[in-house]
Amino acid sequence: MGFKEYVGKRTLQGFVTILLAITLNFILFRIMPGDPTRAVSGDPRVDTATRLALIAKFGLDRPLFEQFVLYFYNLLRGEMGISFVQIGRPVVSIILGRKMVNTLVLMGSSMFLAFILGIAVGVVAAWRRGTKTDVSFVLLSLATYSMPVFWFGMLLLMLLSYHLHLVPIAGTITAGVAHPNFLAYAADYLHHLIAPMMTLAVSFFGGYFLFMRDTILDVFTEDYMLTARAKGLSDRKILFKHAMRNALLPMVSLMGVHVTFLISGATLTETVFSWDGLGRLIYDSVRNNDYPVLQGIFLIMAVLVVIASISADIANAYLDPRIKEAA
Amino acid sequence: MVQSSEVAEGSLMEERLSITARRLRGFLSLYRRSWIGMLGLLFILAFIAMALIAPYVAPYDPRALVGLPFRKPSAEFPLGTDQVGRDIYSQLIWGSRVSLMVGLLASFFGVAIGTLIGLVSGYYKGPLDAVLMRITDLFITVPNLPLMLILAAIIGRSMWNIIFVIGFLGWTSTARMVRSQTLSIKERPYVEAARSVGARDRQILWRHILPNVFPLVFANAIVGIVDAILAESGLSFLGLGDPTKPSWGLILRYANEAGALATGRWWFIIPPGLCIMLVAIGFAFSSYSLDQILNPRLRERR
Repeated sequence: MGFKEYVGKRTLQGFVTILLAITLNFILFRIMPGDPTRAVSGDPRVDTATRLALIAKFGLDRPLFEQFVLYFYNLLRGEMGISFVQIGRPVVSIILGRKMVNTLVLMGSSMFLAFILGIAVGVVAAWRRGTKTDVSFVLLSLATYSMPVFWFGMLLLMLLSYHLHLVPIAGTITAGVAHPNFLAYAADYLHHLIAPMMTLAVSFFGGYFLFMRDTILDVFTEDYMLTARAKGLSDRKILFKHAMRNALLPMVSLMGVHVTFLISGATLTETVFSWDGLGRLIYDSVRNNDYPVLQGIFLIMAVLVVIASISADIANAYLDPRIKEAA
Repeated sequence: MVQSSEVAEGSLMEERLSITARRLRGFLSLYRRSWIGMLGLLFILAFIAMALIAPYVAPYDPRALVGLPFRKPSAEFPLGTDQVGRDIYSQLIWGSRVSLMVGLLASFFGVAIGTLIGLVSGYYKGPLDAVLMRITDLFITVPNLPLMLILAAIIGRSMWNIIFVIGFLGWTSTARMVRSQTLSIKERPYVEAARSVGARDRQILWRHILPNVFPLVFANAIVGIVDAILAESGLSFLGLGDPTKPSWGLILRYANEAGALATGRWWFIIPPGLCIMLVAIGFAFSSYSLDQILNPRLRERR
């Protein structure tokens, strides 16, 4: 199978997964207690005119199958309904905006940090396997993996904010401050980002590290490593040119799958640090029974994850011709 | 005729048992040599003991209002009291029960689903496999914690529901691993041989394939326990755990609600988190050692 066919196959699979996710999303929110139909027809937070408009648009008085078709049709037009809580605000504008940017910044930066650290330390540990350095890093990473992420966030807050007054307590920017220019704004934002980013990065580090270490150890057993050694290449060259390159491939595909874990961690971290992102929005929406918003976030996240995992797989196949052959 | 076959059956059974016993002994002697694994086991046993003797060592009923709110640690209340005057230390001790129960049962539930799906998918292949794998993809794709939050909100906040929700969303990695293992095992000569003497699919799956994927399933179950314990604590912290049972995540929720961070009440925050971490470390260390022993490829490498 060629590269193009592989890309085609993965894209098709991803498409099917997204369709399934949409279906699941539809079903899930119809079986909620106070499902959208009832919520719309009886929720005192929604006024009569809006209610009638919603019922017409989503066909909430029609049979379930028609509702599903209409739901699908509305989705294609980028229509996800309105929030029950922030009355009248379309779900799309709540999700695709500042909150999404905040979450992407937090997730992206912490993932990047954990990734780099995991690779660097993983290579060192694998190279010195069995030594004290290796064992202590393994133990440390198992310990960080076992730590509840929200608790670590609380500890950081206690130490860095309340004790040392180094970082702000909550939010993404200092409330009530007019920033003179973009640079001041960015500095303030980054200052707020430090603690939640550290929290998430530490919680991801363990997984990346262990995976990288394992993969490198696997690569060491490959024949081409023996060849490299036999050629008389230096340790450094063997490690970075041969071992690390080959170990990076599985790491890339791991990242694709890992996005769902990121989202779970981000939800908890954003709640602890009052970070104004999608994770916190999930928490607030669950508490306020804001189903349309939840449904919207769900779908966006599922699509993001599918795209991430497909891109990771395709990048992998592009970099490693063996996958193309096997696929 | 009947007798001889019974004898054969009996000796076969004996032989199988002795093989199992020998394997188990070999495994235990390997495991005992790993100090990380033994340390993990020690942690686990300590928390199991804590859960078992909770009624005898906890000074108070964890839900009873036994003192004034926000008392500092003292001889009377070793870790102080929470915002309504419940003893934090007693809640901490009772919390081990929820954590272990949810961890063990949710992981067992998830791994059982995963094993079943993996076996069926790998053994029968074809359209059934395709359908099952798309469903697996879907479950890998949906963000776990948010879905758990919603499911917990739908079916209600009880411990059994939490176990169900975590298990229901935690089977995907087992399913994938078991499937790929099954794919390779079913091509082995002894499976072929079993089939040629007329063994049925169910027999082959149950007797020849399952025992061979079992080590993998077992290792997965241990990792699953860590994940389930952490998930339970997260759900409880977000207010979707069982409100009637004291759990470590719930204590941390109370601490957060009561502003324990701002007021520097570390005794309200550090112990419950540490307990979650230590019990999770116990299982994580054990799983690490298991992985080294059960994965022969890893063993050779050393």
